Amino acid sequence: MTETNKNPNLLEDALRKALRPEEAPEGFALKVLARAQQQNSAAQEAQRTSWLSMFSQPFVRWAALAAVSICLVIGGVHYRNLQRQRAEGEAAKQQLMLALRIAGSKLQLAKEKVNEINTSRPEPQPQNRSPRSRS
Amino acid sequence: MSTITRKLVPLILLLAFPAILRAQELKLPPGVEKLASKAKETVEVNMDGPMLHWASKFLSAEDPEERKAAKLVANLKGIYVRSYEFSDEGAYTAADVAAVRAQFRSPEWSRVVGVRSERDGDNVDIFFKLENEKMAGIVIISAEAKELTFVNIVGPLEVEQLADLGGEFGIPKLKTKPQSSKPMAKADKGEQK
Amino acid sequence: MPARPLADSAPDIASADFADLVRRYQSMVFSIAQHFLTETAAAEELAQDVFLQLHATLSTLKSEEHVKFWLRKVTAHRCIDYQRRRKLPQVSLDEAPEPMSPAQSSDPLVARRLQQFVASLPEKPRLIVILRYQEDMLPEDIATVLAMPVATVKSHLQRSLALLRDKVTRTMGEVTI
Repeated sequence: MTETNKNPNLLEDALRKALRPEEAPEGFALKVLARAQQQNSAAQEAQRTSWLSMFSQPFVRWAALAAVSICLVIGGVHYRNLQRQRAEGEAAKQQLMLALRIAGSKLQLAKEKVNEINTSRPEPQPQNRSPRSRS
Repeated sequence: MSTITRKLVPLILLLAFPAILRAQELKLPPGVEKLASKAKETVEVNMDGPMLHWASKFLSAEDPEERKAAKLVANLKGIYVRSYEFSDEGAYTAADVAAVRAQFRSPEWSRVVGVRSERDGDNVDIFFKLENEKMAGIVIISAEAKELTFVNIVGPLEVEQLADLGGEFGIPKLKTKPQSSKPMAKADKGEQK
Repeated sequence: MPARPLADSAPDIASADFADLVRRYQSMVFSIAQHFLTETAAAEELAQDVFLQLHATLSTLKSEEHVKFWLRKVTAHRCIDYQRRRKLPQVSLDEAPEPMSPAQSSDPLVARRLQQFVASLPEKPRLIVILRYQEDMLPEDIATVLAMPVATVKSHLQRSLALLRDKVTRTMGEVTI
């Protein structure tokens, strides 16, 4: 029977000695801190371009393209509707102005006719008075 | 004779709705409606209240003419125009015009202008509709040798507003106050014909 | 050292704290990796990765005790992942060469041999033995770090000790430890 068998704790003690923490290699901490600094810079850069990197995914690209196309179609339809409404409104406005001009011209015509009549009529003569006898 | 120069206007399509006909006070007899087929040019405008309101949105505030038009149209309920231009004289009959004039013999209508010119045959009648002593509408019937025009403006039109249009569209500034000295044309004193 | 909440640290102090943490725990992390992998270069690389991960998640850790627990846990899991990925050769306990002569307990060779015997254990038992005898952790704490039942930890520990004892006896004969 070995000593270890006689005293099981001896093995555990031996294990504790064998598995004592060892010093990290020289410069380990500096290397870690240097890499951490690089990690910070890389993280900031990644954050800036992450939204662009999203488009490296084919599905995202196609989805974005589809979304843009849909927006363009909807926007185009909306724009055409607006253009049509504007054209119809302009046409209605022109009709309105035409109607008002016609009405105005006829009133002008009436005025001219009235003036013609008035100017063509002779001036009314004052009534004749019977001569007064001198006293 | 002054005639309206029609530079435009082939047949202008309506922006009409069926409800327009109810608002319109001027009813054209079938004989007059058929004149469109004889006319070289026809202008037909039917604009009721909503349509006027919508069209007025497109009037520019920067244009003086359109600005005044917007002001006038703001309270109107309708503008209806029929205008026929013919190549030759005699395309319509006096009876056609008389039938239209007869519609405004009712008490609510007053003929304020009635001009008959034997020299050139131009006849112009202007009727005002009064409600509560305020202008509620105007009808203009212009019968010229080669042109027949009917205008009906419906709405609480102030005489002053109509006067504002004078000079903008060629509408004469009507004198709202009685003038002294000069006698009125005989047609003004009531319907003659 | 009393527990100090790291969340209260201002950003510039957090940087100093991180450097301080590296210096304080680099030996622990490196040793766990070294005893598990038995390759110095691989252990150093793994230990660096652990600290870089700490740097990224430092703001989420509440106290220094939490940091210590976190370091042990991450190191242990990274060791297992690293070995599986790299398929490092594992010396079977039976294949470990026997010494030419009996060794003494204070003999460095004994320690070295024991390290080799430990490295030949299966992954989970190996980690359990390292955490138990390097870090002096209780089976309950080891169970938390490795996310396994306490009974399993104890079972692994018992069997591992039995295996090691047997190997030591067979290979090193009478050893006065």
